[in-house]
Amino acid sequence: MPRRVYLDHSATTPVDARVVEAMLPFLTEKFGNASSVHFFGQEARAAVDRARRDVAALIQARPNETVFLSGGTEANNLAIRGVAEASETYGRHIITSQIEHSSVRGICDALEKKGFEITRLPVYEDGIVRTHDVREALRPDTILITVMLANNEIGTIQPVAEIGAIVREERERGNRHLRFHTDAVQAAGRIPLNVEELGCDLLSLSAHKLYAPKGVGALFVRRGVRLTAQNVGGHQERERRAGTESVAGIVAFGAASRFALEELEERASHVCLLRDRFEAGVAARVLEIVFNGNREKRLPHLSNISFRYIEGEGLLINLDLQGVAVSTGSACSSGSLEPSPVIRAIGRDEELARGSIRFSFGKDNSTEDVDYVLEALPRAVENLRRLSPLYQKAQAERACETLRA
Amino acid sequence: MSYSATLKDHLSNPRNAGELEGANAVAEESNPVCGDRLRLSLRLNVGRIEAARFLAYGCAPTIACGSVLTEMIEGMPVQDALRLTRQEIARALGGLPARKQHAAALAIETLRAALEAN
Repeated sequence: MPRRVYLDHSATTPVDARVVEAMLPFLTEKFGNASSVHFFGQEARAAVDRARRDVAALIQARPNETVFLSGGTEANNLAIRGVAEASETYGRHIITSQIEHSSVRGICDALEKKGFEITRLPVYEDGIVRTHDVREALRPDTILITVMLANNEIGTIQPVAEIGAIVREERERGNRHLRFHTDAVQAAGRIPLNVEELGCDLLSLSAHKLYAPKGVGALFVRRGVRLTAQNVGGHQERERRAGTESVAGIVAFGAASRFALEELEERASHVCLLRDRFEAGVAARVLEIVFNGNREKRLPHLSNISFRYIEGEGLLINLDLQGVAVSTGSACSSGSLEPSPVIRAIGRDEELARGSIRFSFGKDNSTEDVDYVLEALPRAVENLRRLSPLYQKAQAERACETLRA
Repeated sequence: MSYSATLKDHLSNPRNAGELEGANAVAEESNPVCGDRLRLSLRLNVGRIEAARFLAYGCAPTIACGSVLTEMIEGMPVQDALRLTRQEIARALGGLPARKQHAAALAIETLRAALEAN
């Protein structure tokens, strides 16, 4: 059995043992429905309320501005569709970016089919949206801007606070119905978040990216922001999201948020150290690689590298056979024909997009993990390059040039 | 998407990788849709494939198909090799996911191109 190293924390994280401990009673003896009036129900209600305070504290929001739901995708759906439907009479123009999470992209595509106009802002080679482009894109009928806080593939941090300021200005100038949403699923627990400083009206969170279970998330909805509920038929979450609360999951989310806030700096500097050690090691051991995205303005735990001449899926499986778990932007593993739109949006050619690998570190990784990967990775790259006709051709051309020179 | 142990084995221990010295039948084909690429170099002698090497760029099944194909055709009469089907290649790898059948198709296409070019 080889050593196992999990470097896919942007996909999901393991549930923290302390979080499991906090949630377990709510599966067994404290099993009540938070909507019930009796003791069991009230016990569950109190736990949900406490969790709401903890999740709100993570983003410096008020508890009653926090709506629990099933995860990041649902939060993005409620935010974008909810605003689009509630504000339709004021306008049908939405501004977003080219590098949003697939859920946001999918929602915008669906709204476009229903007659909304979508402006998709470019990112440049550094993978960052420009505020100038946001200003240029604004129209009197713009009802929503949705730009992620940090990208899920390359980790670049977007100028959300600056966009928030533009939105405030714009509202003061008379476009009272303009709303601003940010998908903070990847950023939460990894960088400090403050909804006042960000100036956003809506912010999406997912529990399983911060050491809580899958199936829980939250949407911050600023007081006064009107949304059309997408799940109807129940009074839960103040009519904004019908359905019995997943009490144990919410309790876990609350506990995980508390730990994430307490340990934020410690975790961030730990993963940043590992990531930097990893990147320096890769640069020293593997030739012809390209780092994707701005290397300063990005999440501390993430590294995205394109390996020339090879395809990401083969590399992923080679690493997997050596016990190392990562993600790739190659189309092959996602099942689509086009390679990662994010890597394409930063101007990389198709070969580099297909050869991109995301390494995302977590609080429980160690320097030994990094050193093990630094042994396994060059071996895997070498194996695949030896097989690659693109690599052989490049080698032959290089040999020719050397001869000519 | 899940791959068989056989496929993964071909990916981590590719058979007959490289360019064959003294090859007399060579072809390089690519899938225009996804850009996958397979190169075969063969040595044919009196109607038989004496040796075969492959190079491949693309997703895991493309590489594994190249590898397993060289294993299957070494020593095979050219007449039989021309009758190989993509189903046989997929079977030799313990099956391919539905969306990955194109990898076996590319292998067959490249094999036929090499044999017919000779």
